[in-house]
Amino acid sequence: MTAESVSASTVRFESVTKRYSGAESVAVEDLSFEVPAGEICVLVGPSGCGKTTALRMVNRTVEMTSGDILIGGNSVKEGDPARLRREIGYVIQQIGLFPHRTISQNIGTVPNLLGWDKERVAKRSAELLELIGLDPEYGDRYPTQLSGGQQQRVGVARALAVDPPVMLMDEPFGAIDPINRSRLQNEFLRLQAELRKTVLFVTHDVDEAIKMGDKVAVLKKGGQLAQFATPTELLMEPADDFVEDFVGSDRALKRLALMRVRDVNLWTAPLAQAGDPAEPVRTAVAAAEVPHALLVDGENRPQGWLSERDLAGERVPSTPDSLTEPLIEADSILRDGLAALLQSGSLYAAVVDHRGRLTGVLSVEIVSDFLASDKAAESELTAVERPHG
Amino acid sequence: MAELLAAVDDSFFTDRTGGGCIQENKLFCPGWVADNYDRYVDPTLQHLVLVGSAVVAGFLIAFALGVFAHRHRFLQTPFLAGTGILYTIPSISFFFLLLPITGRGALTAIIALTAFNLQIIFRNMTNGLRNVPQNVTEAATGIGMTKSQVLWQVELPLAMPEIIAGLRIATVSTVALATLAVFANGGGLGTEIVSGSNITFKTGIIVAGSIAVIMAIVFDGMLLLAGKLLAPWKRVAQ
Repeated sequence: MTAESVSASTVRFESVTKRYSGAESVAVEDLSFEVPAGEICVLVGPSGCGKTTALRMVNRTVEMTSGDILIGGNSVKEGDPARLRREIGYVIQQIGLFPHRTISQNIGTVPNLLGWDKERVAKRSAELLELIGLDPEYGDRYPTQLSGGQQQRVGVARALAVDPPVMLMDEPFGAIDPINRSRLQNEFLRLQAELRKTVLFVTHDVDEAIKMGDKVAVLKKGGQLAQFATPTELLMEPADDFVEDFVGSDRALKRLALMRVRDVNLWTAPLAQAGDPAEPVRTAVAAAEVPHALLVDGENRPQGWLSERDLAGERVPSTPDSLTEPLIEADSILRDGLAALLQSGSLYAAVVDHRGRLTGVLSVEIVSDFLASDKAAESELTAVERPHG
Repeated sequence: MAELLAAVDDSFFTDRTGGGCIQENKLFCPGWVADNYDRYVDPTLQHLVLVGSAVVAGFLIAFALGVFAHRHRFLQTPFLAGTGILYTIPSISFFFLLLPITGRGALTAIIALTAFNLQIIFRNMTNGLRNVPQNVTEAATGIGMTKSQVLWQVELPLAMPEIIAGLRIATVSTVALATLAVFANGGGLGTEIVSGSNITFKTGIIVAGSIAVIMAIVFDGMLLLAGKLLAPWKRVAQ
């Protein structure tokens, strides 16, 4: 699946209003905005702001009272809702995998509804398992045999099965623990860079909105749109007090969420492999940016930090004094990288790509320099132009 | 060895004559059974027909009611109350209530037994459907299943273990209750328990009762097995 072959559609809200019968106030009021094809738009706001209602009107699991939603120019109101839904990926917080069906069968649900032949369904299931990084043998397991994070990945795969131009994600990572959530977010962004779907993503977590969104729609109580902007604009120029409040007083810190660890200039540390002569490493350490050497394996994967004592001998030992913890993924946002550093109380952390290979070293100093530099705001603006693939 | 065999043969022939053991109405006379087992064949077959018909009919009706009440939730309470009344009416009274309409015979017994079954199967089915996690049906609808696809592909398969649990209770109860069919002249193992001339013939009661118990155990085991085969996801380690 290449980026060129994938079609995505714009999603356009036109004065969409939802009033539940019997309710005094409206759930969503006169909502209008447009999500360009291939972008992630995050709907964010406090509970009761109508964000989930707004999302569900797209696939008509909630019917709108007035207004219209257009997908690629066609109103969702035309035609059969079940047929419409098969063309829109749908991921919910509680995942909702079918417990009585295997993972492959779960992923193949919509293809089966559309009447694909068995062979094509099986092939597509296998393809998607690979895409979400699950071993093919997982295909024959049942959902209860998977961890929460794996289940949510399968939920995403099921939504992607027929390659829909639009995906709806309702707090998809809300029930996942923070570490795995951040990993799933990164994974999804990596997928999205490849797939370029138009994604509507609901969350109540403004940090997640800033991290995931190309556009962010902030809703306030009563389902009114408070601001529709890029994450940077949201942080730099909140439209009103509500948005400013909602975004929080730590806006400067939140800007760290706009940058990836791989986007800053990482430092380099002297490298050594087990069995290397220690002498040249000692010399390199004395002159290096990072005054500690990293032990790596044959594939450049960090194995640990080498202490002075480790290097006192003739040869570099295979078991160093200290482990590489924390390890930071290059795809992480800078804020998570800094958090990992602070949490472990170390000055330096090895940064690895998604295959676990070293790409550099992050230090607290890099982050503080970045925040202090006049260019920070400027570079953020360019960094926000998400590297889509 | 030869002596031993001779002794066995001796006692066998004593009982076979219907002598001592029968006259004294001992708890169990194996000789008599060996001589008379063929008299149980017809009642056992009749019993199988009674139980089979009542359970299958009860299942079909309760299933239809269950599906209907699932679509129209307001019907659940009246259906539950209605089947509840049928469940509570003592079967024997039911036979006599039905006599003017269906007369004496197996049909009367089957109707009463079916009526008794409805509540058990219906209640289990509604519980099973209610216990399907909401997020699962929500996801099913959200990815494009129609209402009946959600019902047949998601809700009923997930409710099936509970439906089968209901069937097991219904079947075992019906095997026991069907012994009363004799009072409606409906045949079955009851005829050998209440054999008019000698209602206190212990061996006869024990044999007929044992056949019923074995029948119940076999049915129960078959349903248990069917449930396991049909719900492989329940067997995997959690």
